[in-house]
Amino acid sequence: MTMPVSPLQDGQAIRLSDVCKSYGDYPVLRHINAEVGRGEVVVICGPSGSGKSTLIRTVNRLEEINSGSINFEGQNIHAPMRGRELNRLRSRIGFVFQSFNLFPHLSAVENVSMSPIRVKGVSADVARDKAIKLLDRVGLADKANSYPGQLSGGQQQRVAIARALAMEPPVMLFDEPTSALDPEMVGEVLSVMKSLAADGMTMLCVTHEMGFARDVADRIWFIDAGEILEMAPPKDFFQNPRHPRAQRFLSDLRH
Amino acid sequence: MIQDIITIIHDYWLLLLIGQYPNGPLGGLANTIILSLLAILLAFPVSILLALARLSKWRALRWPVTGLVYVTRGVPLLMLILWCYFLVPLWTGADVPSFLIMLVTLVVYEGAFLSEVVRAGIVSLGQGQMDAARALGHSHLSAMRFVILPQALYNMIPSMISTFVSTIKDTTLGYVINVPDLTFAASQVNNQLFTQPFQVFIILAAVYYVLCWSLTYVANSLERRIARRRAGPRRNARLATEAVPLKTLVEQP
Repeated sequence: MTMPVSPLQDGQAIRLSDVCKSYGDYPVLRHINAEVGRGEVVVICGPSGSGKSTLIRTVNRLEEINSGSINFEGQNIHAPMRGRELNRLRSRIGFVFQSFNLFPHLSAVENVSMSPIRVKGVSADVARDKAIKLLDRVGLADKANSYPGQLSGGQQQRVAIARALAMEPPVMLFDEPTSALDPEMVGEVLSVMKSLAADGMTMLCVTHEMGFARDVADRIWFIDAGEILEMAPPKDFFQNPRHPRAQRFLSDLRH
Repeated sequence: MIQDIITIIHDYWLLLLIGQYPNGPLGGLANTIILSLLAILLAFPVSILLALARLSKWRALRWPVTGLVYVTRGVPLLMLILWCYFLVPLWTGADVPSFLIMLVTLVVYEGAFLSEVVRAGIVSLGQGQMDAARALGHSHLSAMRFVILPQALYNMIPSMISTFVSTIKDTTLGYVINVPDLTFAASQVNNQLFTQPFQVFIILAAVYYVLCWSLTYVANSLERRIARRRAGPRRNARLATEAVPLKTLVEQP
């Protein structure tokens, strides 16, 4: 595998160096070397079971790794560190889950404002105003007082994006954000992600939405069996995939 | 027979209600309710601490507490009562009132049972809620406090009431160490009348039944309301027709 070409943007947001992880004898991630530039949008794609979700969950240490390092803002997020330090780093990495994981006992606006209040110590009024603005940004200002159980899947996922943004993270991770949605709701979530990308957010997205990858991604990482087999701009990846497994993956998608 | 029961209630209602108070210690139904309420209120925080310890990543905390919960759940309550009754005065050298001994025993016993309910409530929420809170930068304790426990404890309310019902029934065992409760009062009445045990104890059974049945009724309606709320208002219409009646477990497992 050739080493990735450095992104065009100045500086790197995340750098994964020789990341390995296995469940028992079964390797899930093998020697992952990759970097995400500031403001870059990277889409991770690959067949199911290839290690995409595991990879993205190691970036904010929801999954531990066996060896290697993941540098974020100059710190190895997998180094031994105090819980408080890890919490601080995590609060600077937004994470959007496939299954939304909204807090069902809190209204939309409380979901968004709770962590700034409890983790960052922002005052309740300021956090609430900010939360309303963020809900407005994802098109849900009128649902501020609704509970997750009263919202559609697409609306819930948009609240979840607003909740992650409320911590003002410089980086956002998306773990198959549209896979649990009914087809007619995929678009509303993708358009929020597109507008985030347009605003210059650094994004790392696991997704099966190849249209989104083609239109929005700066680079695509193709992963299979725990290895990144190809890193390329979407144009090159879709028109001219080099690795045989990437070729097979793309031809399977077209069927 | 009915006449006998009415006569007994007429003659002894005050004894059954408050024992020999104010000439002696408070007893009867009042003491039964006070003892059960105190036991459940104190067992509640104990159960949360035990559940958090059982879910802790530190073995030094998890293993002894798991052992304690297993032993407490695996031993008859009567044995625990006798243990406390004979051992606590030996350790402390003081004359501990039987009410206090019964209270401590009940708190340990019901705390161990409730801790399993709390633990189940936490585990049943799934890993996603904890992941979401941790990803936002919450510490483990902060996630527990603001995300996990508010949901788990709310879902637990019906089980709490069921445990309260069990506690009320368990207080009857205080009889063996002379805790002046409703059973004790009924037994005093029986000793005075001597010839009407059936009538006396049917009154006793009826009082316990009414008390426990009404609490179970409350628990069941709360459980239905919680199930509706969990489903969300939009899905209510569908749930109302499809819903299987939910049953609260009254007996401890």
